[in-house]
Amino acid sequence: MPTPLNSTVEVKRQAPTPYSFSRPYWEGTREKKILVQYCPRSGQYQFYPRPVSIATGHRDLEWREVSGAGEIFSYTITRRAREPFRGHEPFIVATVTLDVGVNLLANIVECDEDQIRIGMKVEPYWLPLPNGMHLLMFKPKR
Amino acid sequence: MVMRDVAIVGFAETKIVERSAQDVWELGATILETLIDGAGFEKGEIDGMILSSSLTGAGNAFWSQNTAEFLGLQLDFCQTVDIGGCSPLGALARAAMAIDAGMCTTVLLLYADTAVAENNARLRSFGGEWTVPVGLMGPPGAFGLLSRRYEYQYGLDYRALGKLAVTQRNHAILNPNACEKLRIPLTVDGYLTSRMISDPIRLLDSVMPCDGASGLLVTSRARAQGKGLSRWVVPLGYGERTNHNAAQSLVDVTETGHSAAGQRAFAAAGMAPRDIASFYPYDDFIIAIMLQLEMLGFCKRGQGCAFINDMDFTHAGSLPLNTGGGQISAGQAGLAGGGTNLVEAVRQLFGEAGSRQVKNTANALVTGIGGIPLARNWVSSAVMILAPDA
Repeated sequence: MPTPLNSTVEVKRQAPTPYSFSRPYWEGTREKKILVQYCPRSGQYQFYPRPVSIATGHRDLEWREVSGAGEIFSYTITRRAREPFRGHEPFIVATVTLDVGVNLLANIVECDEDQIRIGMKVEPYWLPLPNGMHLLMFKPKR
Repeated sequence: MVMRDVAIVGFAETKIVERSAQDVWELGATILETLIDGAGFEKGEIDGMILSSSLTGAGNAFWSQNTAEFLGLQLDFCQTVDIGGCSPLGALARAAMAIDAGMCTTVLLLYADTAVAENNARLRSFGGEWTVPVGLMGPPGAFGLLSRRYEYQYGLDYRALGKLAVTQRNHAILNPNACEKLRIPLTVDGYLTSRMISDPIRLLDSVMPCDGASGLLVTSRARAQGKGLSRWVVPLGYGERTNHNAAQSLVDVTETGHSAAGQRAFAAAGMAPRDIASFYPYDDFIIAIMLQLEMLGFCKRGQGCAFINDMDFTHAGSLPLNTGGGQISAGQAGLAGGGTNLVEAVRQLFGEAGSRQVKNTANALVTGIGGIPLARNWVSSAVMILAPDA
């Protein structure tokens, strides 16, 4: 029997300090919106937020709200963690590919070790942070 | 290729320790003294110095200048290279460029870090926003994601990875400079049952952070000849790639910049993988060695484990690999750790590796890996081919 996985929702997390160019993403999480940078010249979305289009080097990026539909690209089961995650192992850190073509890292909740697999469809799960922002997590799509 | 007009005339290395009681500049002084005494140079002949990254030095915006002051060096060329584990190899390439450009004639390459005893680094990256909040367990976490994806695309034979771990461990037992704690025998089963950190990355997949220093003395071939030296090592080709596939949002994480860097190094040297006599891949994690075998063209993509199973990588084998134990079994001297396998390659080409000496010293291929990106492979890749020239 695999050990049950920790959802990590009990971990005491602080809201991160954004850069000037990533602040719109974090502000969007206050309303549980996923805002991703879009480059109109190349038609490419990009994540994590950058001060410039990684495709063209131009700065005419747009912020677009996306649905958060995604699938697992890869995952690791963290069995030895640092603070503040210590004592909450084992838990999943996954690379999730959103349907707009970007990869991001997130914890996966409501998911067992024998359930997680690459290619599994996931949907957003929002964890409140102390300052009113939210951390984007994912759960298996039902 | 102008790099061939440059000669590595000496190498030096301290013992790698779990925590250094000596200051990082005292380790540096030991490297300096060993190099000038070994090659028969005066300190005043050194007119260039290039440092690798150093977590001890990382908080200091004047790192190379202050190091030059403490070592009493008057320099016409002075810099730090900050491409992570690629820094030592990158420093050698930059020394060749500086000498060829006439900026200086004789360069001290100093790779010194005491990060366990004194880590002054303050990293400014994507981590605070995107990895810390999800509890990614540092480099083992990133390599856990990489390994799981590789396994999905190609399958992964963990016993083959264990074979690499055992080969390197046996080499470390023969290396008196390897960290003493690691100089104990290891079996494949011992590797496979070591503690899981960030599944599927185990403790024995990973480097152990340590303290230590190494270095090289580089001058022009003409000056080496003029001093009547009997042997030296020359770089035949070099390639470097940072942020491979930077413009793409989704990348194949099993592809590394070594594909591009390796092509450039092989082309400059006029060689192919089958010509390589011994191999010194950067090893922060065991799977990184396998990926480099694929990317450099020793075998096809997805065939790394099968290739490992077919090969004998011992110092007496067909393709000797990290004959000093690699960083994984000798200890990782912080961001100076890229010097460990580089210095071992030079030592082998000088024929001074003692009980672990390789038979074929026609050439050696050394690599670097630097930096962990988000949802990509690694940041920097470097490849250099060296050969004796005397």
